[in-house]
Amino acid sequence: MRRYEAIREIMKAVTDQPVVCNIGHPSQELFQLADRPQNFYMLGSMGLASSIAHGLALSQTGKVLVIDGDAAVTMNMGGFATIGHTRPRNLVQIVIDNSANGSTGFQPSFTADRLRIDAIGRAAGIDHVDVITDETEIAGAVAAALASKEGPHLLVIRTETGMPEGVKVIPLGPIEIKERFMRSISQ
Amino acid sequence: MHYHTSMTPTDRLYETLKSAGLDFFVSVPCKLLGDLIDRLASDKSIVYTPVSREEEGMGLACGAHLAGRRPAVVMQNSGFGNSVNAVLSLLNYYKVPVVFVVSHRGSPGEPIEAQRMMGSAIVELLRVADVTCVEVTKPSAMANVPSAIEQARREGRSIALLLPFGFWAEQ
Repeated sequence: MRRYEAIREIMKAVTDQPVVCNIGHPSQELFQLADRPQNFYMLGSMGLASSIAHGLALSQTGKVLVIDGDAAVTMNMGGFATIGHTRPRNLVQIVIDNSANGSTGFQPSFTADRLRIDAIGRAAGIDHVDVITDETEIAGAVAAALASKEGPHLLVIRTETGMPEGVKVIPLGPIEIKERFMRSISQ
Repeated sequence: MHYHTSMTPTDRLYETLKSAGLDFFVSVPCKLLGDLIDRLASDKSIVYTPVSREEEGMGLACGAHLAGRRPAVVMQNSGFGNSVNAVLSLLNYYKVPVVFVVSHRGSPGEPIEAQRMMGSAIVELLRVADVTCVEVTKPSAMANVPSAIEQARREGRSIALLLPFGFWAEQ
């Protein structure tokens, strides 16, 4: 399983929930697999996808899902501290751990060595932490987290490094992404 | 807005931010802003949380805006330095209007020599980052702040209220 297959399985469980997605290839793969107005593609500011989702979760009561990456959350590790402090019950944070900085050429990330994102999450005070390595378990785990009255949830999905050929740049500008997202979640 | 003379600088700042409709605050600690942060933390009519770093706060503020709220980040000027890419590549790029409530460390009265470096650069940094800068020299000079915040919001721009040491000297 690569990140592409993981995102495909995640989106099988998502219905009308807003999804914030990490910069670069993850957003491009999500666009290709399951573009919808409720997707917020983060085009800049690596590291802040989970923080954007955190702000959304604190601002309204519906479930919010974020698809982040291991190197991105390592850039903003303090974000775990804040999520462990506010503990929003409606936040489902997914970290796809491919042990690489994929969008910049698949340089190894720190999880390729000794870093464990699930341990960071638990140490920050996030109670519901799961590690998934089997593709067939993803959709069920995401559906359960979205249906749960408890939270926040942190799901770490361990994948292979790499991505399919031919994934294209998102043809939407930032204002278009934002405005259709805001319209879709205010309905 | 009518102010009572017994109001402290923090009272006036808090009332001004509330009257501007701000309803989502994050902060990184600051001695000068400490009383304001205490007021925000006990205000049940808003969302408030401390954050680990100002750049992280820009992310939360963006999420709050996407949900229809009016966010502010309370921080020292050094925190703006920690956040420059997020301000440009997230807030400015997506036209997310955020209010920065910024203590101007390194302004006259600053006891810490090391604060002078960011303190002398902050106004120019804000200008280069296309953030409106309102230097609020004293509590009685905030009458136009809510309208400036509203104008920035309409334009999708972020705005910084820069508060020097002297702001807290006047009672």
